Amino acid sequence: MSANIGFAFRVAMFVCLYLFLFLALRTIWKSVTQKDSRISNIPVPTLQISSLEMAEGTESAFTSAEVLIGRDHECDFVINHPAISSRHGRFSFHQNQWWYEDLKSTNGSFLEDLRIEEPIVIKDGDNIYCGDIQLKIKITPNS
Amino acid sequence: MVVAVAFIIFYALALSLAEATRFHSATLRIQAGYLLPLGGWLVGIALIQRTLHRNLPNRDIWIFPIVALLIGLGLLTIWSLSADLGFKQVIWFLIGSLIFVLAAGTRDLTLTLKRYKYVWLLLGLLLIVLTFVIGVNPGNQGPKLWLNIFGFYMQPSEPLKLLMIVYLAAFFADQIRPNIPLFDSILPTVIITGLAGLLLIGQKDIGTASLFVVIYVLMLTVTTRRRRFLWIFPLLVIVASLVGYLTIPVVRTRLEIWLNPWLQSSGASYQLVQAKIAVAAGGLFGTGPGLGSPQVVPVAVSDFIFTAIAEEMGLFGTAAVMLLILLLTMRGILIAQAAKTSFGRYLAYGISAYFAAQSFFIIGGNLGLVPVTGITLPFLSYGGSSLVTNLLCTLLLLKISTEPAYQMPPETIRRPYQWMAGAFMLMFVGLFLVNSIYAFVDQAKLLNRPENPRWAVFDRFTPRGSILSQNGKPLAITTGEIGSYKREITYPPLSNTLGYANPLYGQSGLELSLYPYLRGLASKSFQTVFLQKLFFNQPPVGSDVRLNLNIPMQQRADTLLDGHKGAAVLMNADTGEIYALATAPYFDANTLNEDWEQLMNNADAPLFNRATQGSYPVGTLDNTLYLSAYWNNPATEVETAPSGKRLDRYCAKGIQALGSSIDTLQYGCESTSLLLADEVSPDLLHSTIAAYGLFQPPDVSLDVATTINEADAKQAILETQSSLASLKVSPLQAAMVAATITAEGSKPLPRLVNSYQDEFGNWVAFKPDIQPVNVLTQKSALKIQEQLAGKSSSIWYQIGHGKTDEGEVITWYLGGTTQEWHGSPLAVAVVLEADDPQAAAVIGTRLLSQAN
Repeated sequence: MSANIGFAFRVAMFVCLYLFLFLALRTIWKSVTQKDSRISNIPVPTLQISSLEMAEGTESAFTSAEVLIGRDHECDFVINHPAISSRHGRFSFHQNQWWYEDLKSTNGSFLEDLRIEEPIVIKDGDNIYCGDIQLKIKITPNS
Repeated sequence: MVVAVAFIIFYALALSLAEATRFHSATLRIQAGYLLPLGGWLVGIALIQRTLHRNLPNRDIWIFPIVALLIGLGLLTIWSLSADLGFKQVIWFLIGSLIFVLAAGTRDLTLTLKRYKYVWLLLGLLLIVLTFVIGVNPGNQGPKLWLNIFGFYMQPSEPLKLLMIVYLAAFFADQIRPNIPLFDSILPTVIITGLAGLLLIGQKDIGTASLFVVIYVLMLTVTTRRRRFLWIFPLLVIVASLVGYLTIPVVRTRLEIWLNPWLQSSGASYQLVQAKIAVAAGGLFGTGPGLGSPQVVPVAVSDFIFTAIAEEMGLFGTAAVMLLILLLTMRGILIAQAAKTSFGRYLAYGISAYFAAQSFFIIGGNLGLVPVTGITLPFLSYGGSSLVTNLLCTLLLLKISTEPAYQMPPETIRRPYQWMAGAFMLMFVGLFLVNSIYAFVDQAKLLNRPENPRWAVFDRFTPRGSILSQNGKPLAITTGEIGSYKREITYPPLSNTLGYANPLYGQSGLELSLYPYLRGLASKSFQTVFLQKLFFNQPPVGSDVRLNLNIPMQQRADTLLDGHKGAAVLMNADTGEIYALATAPYFDANTLNEDWEQLMNNADAPLFNRATQGSYPVGTLDNTLYLSAYWNNPATEVETAPSGKRLDRYCAKGIQALGSSIDTLQYGCESTSLLLADEVSPDLLHSTIAAYGLFQPPDVSLDVATTINEADAKQAILETQSSLASLKVSPLQAAMVAATITAEGSKPLPRLVNSYQDEFGNWVAFKPDIQPVNVLTQKSALKIQEQLAGKSSSIWYQIGHGKTDEGEVITWYLGGTTQEWHGSPLAVAVVLEADDPQAAAVIGTRLLSQAN
């Protein structure tokens, strides 16, 4: 008598345990595959990069959260110059700020005279030097 | 959350029915005690849930249900192991819930933590220092790691873990900057972690100290984003284990038992060995809540609670627990990735890494994957400080989860976290694999180990079958009531053969070898065994087993041997049925507990079964072996034996006037066999002995003496040309020689057990799996009988004597019936550990002549 009921409880227990796991796993799976819904999409301020050294005086404006620069055609902002590495650096927007980081380029990136070794926050009007190339940064908030 | 609550309620209900199930109670009987931890748990989680609802509405919704489930599982498991400790743990949980509620109401909790990081850290270190001065150990022995606060014991190293993580997170958030050399920026943390580690090592809390280092390196790797820091681990492990092995005895034993757990299975590694067996006992689905014997593992309540869960819930239960801990870690890492500030990010990551690392080390320790560290399994183990600390860790995670960044941080920041998440997953996959090896692949091997004491529990709850004599007289029976069944031997002189089933000293003899039948596992149908195991975690009621032993004959043998040291075997020469198997002195299995000490120290070794385990030199018994070889030679074809004039003065028995030396064979004279040795080639002699089975241990469901390797024996015979005297045989093997001669050359198989009763009450015979072997031709066997015939022509016999390696003289009597005998043919072997041919002859002759 007790054994049968006890066994039924045991089965119910395992069912609950695995149902719980299933539900939890499903949630975590969703949050990994999709963008986390808890993060609201506030508009990204426009990042304008302009290069004086380059003949055309290239200028580009970006509103995506990540901007890759380098010699490679895949990059968002292509600089065709021998001193530039194929994937030279990256601008990214997070924690409500634009950041720049050097992607271990050969000739390095500099914020004015400071060599950039860790991701740094950049502000409107900053000059970033990639090798010999000067990049002027302009950030305009979007409403 | 609802599912988690349902799980815990079902678990509590299953536990509360366990006692009634064990006793096969007819009525529904519930142990109401389990309602208390269940109630305490419900109150605690309701309190916390309400606070979370009110204060942290945007929290991660999975963290708390996982934590609550783990805590509930822990509380009930602890309660089932020890209601006393379970009660304390419930109180701790309620205290922890209150602290949680109070702390959850505090605004800017994380900020305050960050601002006063050094204050917190110093406070934590100070508490550790305090344990040096006024530390206690609730168990009154071992390291003094606890502080006594109004009767509650607190272990300061637990909160120190959290304070350390807070400090490190705050420090790294402030100090890791570009353009500052890395070493300078992390130097203070190296010093502080080292200091805390040294303090803990000073307190002999090696487990926590190593955990600190692990957490530190894990945090350093992610905050500096330098994967190469992980290389510290192998280096550190090698250096630390070498230094620890050489200087700290505790570390030394732990490493030794980790590498070789089976060497000291009743000593230093008892806990580890029992833990592995407990995991195996759980199998896939476990024994059922409350139906296993997890108490066998020492401190199952705290450090080894994983094995308790493994035994009662099986691999499916432990896999779920590991998955829950992993899920918690993954949620924590997701929270860390999305955190707004780097302090929040590092703190959430540190806490997740702490959960994962600590769980990995203790589960791995339980399973023998890593050396045992005396730390708790988060949320599950008994331990108040640990539970409260872990609750606060949970609160911090939840707090951080309410303040996510507006944007997902870029790939570079997230990558180290993802990398670590993958590493944690791999670690848990490793744990799962080891767990499934014990619970599934090696299950039978582990359960059959002699260290597994679960049979003793089975014996208390379902009766073993009785062992009966040939006539159905019970020899070993089960007495008492369910829950306290006891084993009793009704004819104590047979204790050496029947053996014992003693919870303290284990099993031996037939109780051990017939266990599958006496326990019903081999004799009952698969369905019965399976259902009994599934519902009750008990074997079925055992089956009776009938032996061939004949009580009047056995009694006669015991009486005759009384006062001697030696053994006697009486068997049916045709069928091989063993009628009597006597050894002297013997012990009484019924009073084993009282006598053990004395039995172990007794120089006469009464626990030893001389009839089967005794190994005695053949000595002048070799006369019969030579004679067999001589007459069995196809070339000689039963000629009259050669006879010489040389009479031996040193015989087992004083010689009356006899014509020639061949006539003295019967009396075991030393040089008589030399006559025959000249006529017999060593090859022939060797093959005869091999045919008698003296090189193989006889198969009789009992421990038998090991025999010498056949190849070695052959070499020895070839080298010495003649001397067989040092060949060692057991009385049972000697009886087989006698039986072969009596049965006119055909060697029967020794059969001690006759039959068992199956599920439906039918007696099923144990069938011998090999056929009798012809050793001698009928002609030569009869010729031997004739040569060795006694005064009464219905009996043949030979007396022999030999010297043991220690130089003591032993006496043999080998005999059997002849064709003149009315009744079933019998064979006998007697050995006495004394120079007493007279007594040996009396015992042997009486056993034969009074058998009818």
